[in-house]
Amino acid sequence: MTATTDSVRPTVLEARDMTRRFGGLVAVNKVSFDVREGEIFGLIGPNGAGKTTLFNLMTGLTPPSSGTLTYKGQTVTGLAPHRVAALGLSRTFQNIRLFRGLSALENVKISQHIRTRAGLWQGVFGTARAEELGVERRAWELLDLVGLSDRAGELAANFSYGDQRRLEIARALATEPRVLLLDEPAAGMNTSEKGQLTSFIREVRDRFDLTVLLIEHHVPLVMGLCDRVAVLNFGELIAIGDPASVQRDPKVIEAYLGGE
Amino acid sequence: MELSQFVQNLMNGLAIGSVYAIFALGYTLVFSILGIINFAHGAVFTLGAYFTYTLVVGQFENNGLLKGINLFPNGSPFAGHALTFGLATLIGAVVAGLVAVLIERLAFKPMRARGADTLMALVSSLGVSLVVINLIQLMVGAEIYNFPSNAYGDVPPALSFHIGDKTVIIRTVQIIIFAVSMVMLAILGYVIGRTRVGKALRAVAENPGTASLLGISVDRFILITFFLSGFLGGLAGTLVGTAFGVAGPYFGVTYGLKGLAVIVLGGLGSIPGAVLGGLVIGLAEAFVPADYSAYKDVVAFALLFVILLVRPQGLLGKSAIQKV
Amino acid sequence: MNDFLSTYGHLLVTMVQAGLLGLSLYFPLRAGQLSLASPGFYALGGYIAAIMLTNPAFSGLRDSLGGGIFVLTWLVAAILSGVLGVVVGVPALRLRGIYLALATIAFVEILRVLALNMTITGGAIGIFGIPQAFGLVDWQYIWLFGPLLILTLLFAWQLERSRVGRAFDAIREDELAADAMGVPPTKYKVMAFVIGAVLAGVVGAMSAPFLNTWNAKQGTFDASIATLAFVLIGGSRNMWGPVVGGALLTAVPEVLRFLADWRLVINGLVLVVASLYLPQGIVGALKKLVRPRPLRRPPTPPPASSPPPPPRQPNEVNS
Repeated sequence: MTATTDSVRPTVLEARDMTRRFGGLVAVNKVSFDVREGEIFGLIGPNGAGKTTLFNLMTGLTPPSSGTLTYKGQTVTGLAPHRVAALGLSRTFQNIRLFRGLSALENVKISQHIRTRAGLWQGVFGTARAEELGVERRAWELLDLVGLSDRAGELAANFSYGDQRRLEIARALATEPRVLLLDEPAAGMNTSEKGQLTSFIREVRDRFDLTVLLIEHHVPLVMGLCDRVAVLNFGELIAIGDPASVQRDPKVIEAYLGGE
Repeated sequence: MELSQFVQNLMNGLAIGSVYAIFALGYTLVFSILGIINFAHGAVFTLGAYFTYTLVVGQFENNGLLKGINLFPNGSPFAGHALTFGLATLIGAVVAGLVAVLIERLAFKPMRARGADTLMALVSSLGVSLVVINLIQLMVGAEIYNFPSNAYGDVPPALSFHIGDKTVIIRTVQIIIFAVSMVMLAILGYVIGRTRVGKALRAVAENPGTASLLGISVDRFILITFFLSGFLGGLAGTLVGTAFGVAGPYFGVTYGLKGLAVIVLGGLGSIPGAVLGGLVIGLAEAFVPADYSAYKDVVAFALLFVILLVRPQGLLGKSAIQKV
Repeated sequence: MNDFLSTYGHLLVTMVQAGLLGLSLYFPLRAGQLSLASPGFYALGGYIAAIMLTNPAFSGLRDSLGGGIFVLTWLVAAILSGVLGVVVGVPALRLRGIYLALATIAFVEILRVLALNMTITGGAIGIFGIPQAFGLVDWQYIWLFGPLLILTLLFAWQLERSRVGRAFDAIREDELAADAMGVPPTKYKVMAFVIGAVLAGVVGAMSAPFLNTWNAKQGTFDASIATLAFVLIGGSRNMWGPVVGGALLTAVPEVLRFLADWRLVINGLVLVVASLYLPQGIVGALKKLVRPRPLRRPPTPPPASSPPPPPRQPNEVNS
């Protein structure tokens, strides 16, 4: 249904009939889609459409009522969040959930947990020096990447909104993901920050060889950045395709205009 | 179990369970509004019993700084009259309520003003509890004081009836405890469910911020809550004291602890939950076979532990959905 | 010196002991878990030592081990506390905040009532005539508790700078985010809880000979809250907090001895005032006075190490 060049890339994520009910409310209803390797995949929709819930289902924070998600053939649904992270899916949060009482550097060091091994006694006897040094270095490098290394020692809570969002991305990258899920990365950023964000996300995708999923409200950013876009409305997937065709889809127009 | 034994246990359980309920309500009211556990609640319970005892008997003959002082040199004006015993109980509960208000002002309010960790409230209320307990010890010593047997006036000490050829005995004091507790619960239910004060209380409990936007003075309702909490605690203290004696300054500690089990069992912050929890624990204790009576005190905590693991929000508590 | 020790030596040991108990509560708290179970494990450790040191069933073992029996009591107390810690911790640590605190209080109460009613624990009377460890008397127990405190502090110091310590921090800060970032919360919550349990158990096993007698009063609800007070008044965010808090709060009633009967009343007031005026604890308040050391970046790695992400080129626009 979309540009032919995309179909050359192999599929990495397959969502099949993912559903989540909260009591009588169906927050996500039989959502199925594929995400291809290396693409930037946008998830849009009006408020309350179920976008964040879908992210939560994909990352193990909320178990789905039914349906499955697979990553390169491995089942993701049913795994605890830390197992999902180990598999290579990492995320940021709409409401920013940094470790607020810890420094920026600590935030990024913590997320290397699954890629390191030192246990309790190795830590206590200091026998994992090399690994520890590696963690430290990598944390600094990631802070360099998001431009926050000059404030590495500051508490996460003290950063501005935009900086916190970038720190969250650095923290997510520290888990060495293959798929990065960004929940409204531009929220709270000003226009120039938004502009930088577009190129930054592409740059990150290219350098780390990632697949990126992002939820975004800011339509110009989605249209300029995403290879493909899926539209959710009232928990259902109503359109999927390249940004231009989705933008013309009458169901999408109606969902956006009808809601207002 | 024989029917007579069953009825006997049921009566015992309802009596003690109803006291647990009103005592635990005092905890739950404060928790629902401030989100803190007031560890001094057990001490307020003790105080209520001592205040009532003072009004009924007028002297502490055993020990402490108040030894030898007699409020009523010609014998107590209260003892032996049901009406006046009731009045003493009421005054005792009111004073306990005022003490609770004082505790809120001295130990909790300054902490809220500083935005301190709510955990600190555990420590400061522990401090208050130590102060109260040791003051009581200083004043009247550590002895047990028993209410005079005719405290309620000239009524028979117990009722007995027969089921088959077995006798079931219900102490008068159990009937009084149960009746007073039920009346208290009915009044409280009415106040919270039907009156403006009650609605405002619930609004504050739901969300302090919104409540102040609605023009409700949160501070005033915190005071009312503490008064009610202290009143209920003090009343419970008197009721237990008349049944089993006022058992020294540490009298309330066991009940304070059991009250925690009650509110968690029922669901923290849930008012019907506190009542249900109280009755469940009272009955469960009453049905512990006599051979295992030494383990009676463990029942409440075993129930608490189990309920927390099976249904962490308690019997009637609402489970919170975490927002991501 | 001997005068000082004979007057204050016992107090000094008690202060160190309180600091250790404070630390046993600090480890779970470090991982964000408000557990008040320490007095339960402390009581358990004490009973294990008391039984092994007095019960006729162990007389053969005592005869053959000599002084080694004391070391054995520590080990057994550590292992059993650890096992019980896992058994209790795995289900209980699903609970959060005050619910966990109340569940652990229930655990302490259950152990207390069991101890009060079992034959092997001596029932309400408890166990008497526990022999002195290695013939140490009174203040000399500092030679046991002192090294244990130092070891525990070293342990805490190293732990906090390690991968596991960071996992504790992450869970304390935001359990859900920690999980999403690859830190398995249950594993580390149980680990933190068990560390506290083992420490409390060992302290109990050392304390039984120190006190000569052991009974159900050793692990009570009051003790739970008192231990929490050690940590909170001392400062819960730093390993020195529980040590300072435990030591000071233990010393206060002694210092107030001149107040005679009023001292326990004043002791309560001290708790109230301290919690009002030291919301971050004593160490927390002191830390505010000290400037944090600036972070030092490790030197750039030799080329052989893990492949770094390429440096950022600002404002570069792809495609």
